[in-house]
Amino acid sequence: MHGLRLAFSHLRIGVMNEFQYRANLYIQLLQTFIALGTGLVGLNLVFSQTTDLGGWNKAELLAVMGVFTMTGGLIRAAIQPNMERLMEEIREGTLDYALTKPADAQLFVSVREFRLWQNTDVVVGLIVLGVALSQLGWLLDVWAVLGFLSALFMGAVMVYSFWLIVTSTAFWFVRVNEIANLFEGLYAAGRWPVDIYPNWLRYGLTFLVPVAFAVTVPASALTGRLTLQTWLGALALTVFLFVVARVVWSIGLKNYSGASA
Amino acid sequence: MPSVISISKLAKHYQVPEREAGLKAAAKGLFKRTYRNVKAVDGISFDIQPGEVVGFLGPNGAGKTTTLKMLSGLLHPTAGSVSVLGYEPAKRAHDYLRQITLVMGNRNQLSWDLPALDSFDLQRAVYGIPTDEFKRTRDEFIEILDVKDLVKKPVRNLSLGERMKMEIIGALLHKPKILFLDEPTLGLDVTMQKRIRTFIAEYNKRYGATVLLTSHYMADVEALCKRVIVIHHGQLLFDGDLAALVEKFSAFKTVGFNIDDPTQDFSSYGDVVSVDGSRVVMRVPKAKTSAVTSSLLNDLAVDDLTVEATPIEDVIESVFSVKKEAME
Repeated sequence: MHGLRLAFSHLRIGVMNEFQYRANLYIQLLQTFIALGTGLVGLNLVFSQTTDLGGWNKAELLAVMGVFTMTGGLIRAAIQPNMERLMEEIREGTLDYALTKPADAQLFVSVREFRLWQNTDVVVGLIVLGVALSQLGWLLDVWAVLGFLSALFMGAVMVYSFWLIVTSTAFWFVRVNEIANLFEGLYAAGRWPVDIYPNWLRYGLTFLVPVAFAVTVPASALTGRLTLQTWLGALALTVFLFVVARVVWSIGLKNYSGASA
Repeated sequence: MPSVISISKLAKHYQVPEREAGLKAAAKGLFKRTYRNVKAVDGISFDIQPGEVVGFLGPNGAGKTTTLKMLSGLLHPTAGSVSVLGYEPAKRAHDYLRQITLVMGNRNQLSWDLPALDSFDLQRAVYGIPTDEFKRTRDEFIEILDVKDLVKKPVRNLSLGERMKMEIIGALLHKPKILFLDEPTLGLDVTMQKRIRTFIAEYNKRYGATVLLTSHYMADVEALCKRVIVIHHGQLLFDGDLAALVEKFSAFKTVGFNIDDPTQDFSSYGDVVSVDGSRVVMRVPKAKTSAVTSSLLNDLAVDDLTVEATPIEDVIESVFSVKKEAME
């Protein structure tokens, strides 16, 4: 309960902060449409040569692109900024104030930042997804929607856990800023369903950096591809990654010495 | 009365990476690092009673901040024990954290782009302060510090001193029983320092809070603290009344006078500290002060003779140098 209130209060502050910088909205909108535009051009190029890519047709791939855009926006709005701030504070030893608060430290450092304007990606992603689903004739039942929402939630938790694990290594390695670039590079691969990639890459995108679970699996739920087996696997991996993240974070925190004043 | 802060043989040792200067050494560091053990705090003990305001003094790197961080639960001690309000700080129990606050003069926790009022609201949520109580406390603090108009301005538009006032309000909204203040007046002008000092004293009086304060401005310490704890190289040098410290370490007085020929030899009277025009300032052993002044007046044609106690800064400095000599 306290946790929810904490998250909400920070969200409020984050939104107020973003209102101070209107220009960011326009830049972000521009960026969203450029990304969408190049995505659509790529998609059309592929489908001018073929009608099927690894078992996915054009409308289905458009759905993947919608989920990709939307999830990417969510990650950049709520997960990435918190982790980048955390990284910075570990490096500079300024995590102190966060740790003197009567709240779970992990929760506290995970909800402090919110980039409102990144949600343009979420909105545009949803529109793309809507268009794709209408092309597919809205063949959705309750299970597909539930599967989609739960897969999306699990994907987000997995990506969060991945970020927290890597960020926590800053307690030992001090400087891990490259992770943001690494993640963005790998996440870009999620634009296409992971089944089209060779095995080694597919496993990497599934278990090392959980892009598959953040994009491909939710999209599978909407296109009638999600099996119970995959769903249970996702659930198990979510719990596993979350626990590992919690443990790594706790050990790292014990290790925290703070750059001296 | 049982003490609220009790530390015993407390120590914190760090492993600090160390290498020679230069590219070759830097490259070597990629594969094999050598570490040096630094004893930031090395076995200090003291107790603090409820409501006390204690000055925690020492030169840079003495271990003050490290001690404050162990007290506020940020660092795990290497050895020894810490108990504050009956809690072990490193366990970071929420009930403990709700009763303390940490203010660091060189760090901010308020949102840079927003008015302080919004950040105060966030503190309310973080500490779960009931709304009525929160408003009462907030308005009370705003009134004491006289910052009614400032709380509505974005923090980034405030001066350093104004910002510090906001930081202190934000840090005290949950009415902590224990205040750890690390250089709260750092970089502020004299008026602003005084304002902050008065506020701390007022808070201590109103709520009976215990304060442990570090500061490089002796005026802060003189105004607020009856008792001081001095540490150096992670070890305790002195713990007791500020007056006793001055008495113990201030072995000299400063004697000043005007004379027509300031270039002559005064070494039989004491050490000359400075000569400015016809004004000579000397350092004289305390026990010899009266003898020296009377012979100065008798032997030489001196004018405007003054005798002053050594400024407290110099006293503290001599505490450190005395101890250093003893250690070497």
